[in-house]
Amino acid sequence: MHKILGDRKTIVWLMTPGLLLLAFMILVPIAVGFYYSLTDWNGVGDYGFVGFQNYGDAFAHDPVFWKSLLNSVLLGLGLVAVQHPLAIVIAMLAQYGGRWEKLLRVCIFIPSIISTFVTTKLWTSIFDTQFGLLNRVLDQIGLSAWQQDWLGDPGWAIACIIFVCMWQGFGYAFLLYYAGIKGVPKDLYEAAMLDGASGAQLNRRIVLPLLAPVLRVNLVLAVVSAFKQMETVYLMTSGGPGNSTQFLSTYLYSKAFREGLYGYGNAISLLLVAICLLVTLGMNRAMKREVGEY
Amino acid sequence: MQPKLQDNTPGIRLSGVYRSGFALLMTLLVVAELFPLVWLFDFSLLKSGDFFGSNILKWPDPPKWQNYADAFRNAHIPLLFWNSLLVCAVSIAIIIACSVAMGYALTRMTWRWRKPTLALVMAGMIIPIYATLLPNFMVFNEIGLLNSYFALILPYAAFQIPVSMYIVTGFLETVPRALEEAAVIDGMTVPGLLFRIILPILRPAIATVSVLAFLACWNEFIMAVTYIDTDKLRTLPFAVVYFMGQYSSNYGAQFAVLAIISIPSILIYIAFTDQINRGITAGAVKG
Repeated sequence: MHKILGDRKTIVWLMTPGLLLLAFMILVPIAVGFYYSLTDWNGVGDYGFVGFQNYGDAFAHDPVFWKSLLNSVLLGLGLVAVQHPLAIVIAMLAQYGGRWEKLLRVCIFIPSIISTFVTTKLWTSIFDTQFGLLNRVLDQIGLSAWQQDWLGDPGWAIACIIFVCMWQGFGYAFLLYYAGIKGVPKDLYEAAMLDGASGAQLNRRIVLPLLAPVLRVNLVLAVVSAFKQMETVYLMTSGGPGNSTQFLSTYLYSKAFREGLYGYGNAISLLLVAICLLVTLGMNRAMKREVGEY
Repeated sequence: MQPKLQDNTPGIRLSGVYRSGFALLMTLLVVAELFPLVWLFDFSLLKSGDFFGSNILKWPDPPKWQNYADAFRNAHIPLLFWNSLLVCAVSIAIIIACSVAMGYALTRMTWRWRKPTLALVMAGMIIPIYATLLPNFMVFNEIGLLNSYFALILPYAAFQIPVSMYIVTGFLETVPRALEEAAVIDGMTVPGLLFRIILPILRPAIATVSVLAFLACWNEFIMAVTYIDTDKLRTLPFAVVYFMGQYSSNYGAQFAVLAIISIPSILIYIAFTDQINRGITAGAVKG
């Protein structure tokens, strides 16, 4: 057994294609990106090395870079403080759904499997000033004073983006907690109910603590996804109006493909990778202390 | 692997006012989640003139199927559809082959760099896919890979492999090794083990991996519009772009395009609900 399962040649054959693919599609681009991030290349012709100047510029002289980070933090906060608590409560309540439970689960999850470019196109039409649904509804219920150019106003635009992200990802968050609750052993429920626990007590004292490990993973995923966010923003506002809704990934895109600043765009790509790694490691460490291991 | 999601909460049922409150809350939630989609299908059947009326939803009378016909013609749907399908199929094949081979070598076989390699592959899940957008664009441009199916297939496959492998290894860990041990004693070698024993056992995990990979590839937008700018090779996301420019006043057809793109995803989800649920919850629930 051990002889066969330790056979070097077989291991090489099994691992090489996958590792090569990962190396060429993930590691090599990051290395290439790092190389160009040290240059002032503008897409054509010659370029010179500028050292870490692009990184310095991003940190010291670029308010849009900080704005992008701030927007990611805002989105992360929205997900952690609004979307996930709501998802947990709904996941707990869904257990009482009886024969509707399955249908409920399917309905809640459907937006998550539709392409982002379909859902964002939809929401852009809803927020549209001319024939948009939102302004029309406000008009009909007599609140026409509340009508806005939703995606044209910096403050509202970022709020709309956060809302759409929460809407689309809700089914996903819900499903994770729902499955976590389904994993709570049956005898715990029975024991608690024999002891006379009410439904609310049961959920607060038994289900919620047992969800802690699930919660930890999901919060990390949620915050990282806020930093990774690109498609929704790109399709709803492309970072505008006036860079007010830039996220790191849309910002690097517009720097490179619209302004031709490839060196600078690559520096932001690299910062994006670094931030995602740091946030994951940092949150994992912090939450491990907080929640403890199960 | 996760158990099927089923009812394990014995005997708790709501009554009276709680029941009504519950029903109301859940109905609101479902409406909030599904309304935009209902709106989409509704508008995809309206005449362009109906869009500016005062009604929120308008019964399409008669339904304007012409929108779908326009969408098919003006947005080149059959071609884009075929291209998307091809890109998805090849990506999924690569993803399955690599994640099963690597998953097996990383869980069942013994070698010195096993653990660090596993950690490295898993770290691939953290890397944001669009951080590679720009460098890959430059590399693809240099080696002439832009405007080919592989410009999409290779990154799609690479970014889906870590999570797919995670699902495969999670599944393999729950499978007892007795069968494999017996087969080895009977003289079977690793390729035989893989094809005759592991692949059949892994069937549910492979189903999960394929469905998740399909949704990820089918729904990807940014790379699809960045790496390809030849009409012949474009994939479905581009249908939206066609309509944003040239036919931007034909709202009905635009909504029809969106509906056509979402229908496969919805069908796949309804057909493979359990596999999708298992795949999505595989990582997070185990903690």
